[in-house]
Amino acid sequence: MKHLMRKLALPLLVLAAGPALAHNPMCECEEVASGQVKCTGGFSDGSGAPGVTLDVIGYDEQVLVGGKLGDDSTLTFKRPDGEFYVLFDAGPGHVVEVDYADIGQP
Amino acid sequence: MSQAQTLPASPLKQWWLKWRFHLNILLILIPLGFMPKYFADAKLFRGDAGLGVNVISDIQVGPYSLDLAEMRDEAPRADGPAGHFKSFNASLCKACINDVKAVYLRIGKPRSLRAAGTIFFGAPYRMGTNLPIPPRTQPDAQIWITLEGWDGSMHQASVPLAKASPATVAWLEKQGGKK
Repeated sequence: MKHLMRKLALPLLVLAAGPALAHNPMCECEEVASGQVKCTGGFSDGSGAPGVTLDVIGYDEQVLVGGKLGDDSTLTFKRPDGEFYVLFDAGPGHVVEVDYADIGQP
Repeated sequence: MSQAQTLPASPLKQWWLKWRFHLNILLILIPLGFMPKYFADAKLFRGDAGLGVNVISDIQVGPYSLDLAEMRDEAPRADGPAGHFKSFNASLCKACINDVKAVYLRIGKPRSLRAAGTIFFGAPYRMGTNLPIPPRTQPDAQIWITLEGWDGSMHQASVPLAKASPATVAWLEKQGGKK
């Protein structure tokens, strides 16, 4: 038993250090079929972002779609006309902007 | 009389038995090689080595001012699918510490206070943040500092990225606007 503990000590310590890494917000959007856009939010430590606000905002600062990410950390909405950006908003200073030009066609 | 028999040991075993004591002393010496880096890091994180490198002092942002510096003179670090990040430090002027609620940093002019960029955290004398560097950032880009006051006011200023972090600009030029 003691021998096993010794063998496992290092891997366990390495795993325990994982959550101390930075968790930068991230958001990816892609166009799925029939003019729908699907955005997936999350954090760089691998955790998801269910319930986090995701707004689609026009270049004139009008909120076109206001929503929250579902349990699978995604939100699907109809692609608005014109210029817009997607704002993944996990709190002040924890935002990701995705410009409409970066949302690729399928 | 002892019954123990001396077996003819292999040359390797003999070598090990002869030198193991000295080899273990060498093992103790190995960490000493890492000491200069360790102390340099400790000095940097404690602030004894100043705010960082490429310090830009007294950037006037509305009625306030602050110092900005990059943590290390190096290219942005990758953070998996979240992209590349560059670590910056800042310190507020002593007179404005009580008046400033939040400090944000962003590449390019923010569209709104909500999307003002990444927020500085830590003590106002030495705050830090991780600035995401979009891969298509132009080398002549500006980084924008947004200050939010407790009175609800918002003040902005910008400094050239090339001045704040030459290593990031070099990295961007090497990337050649990839992706």
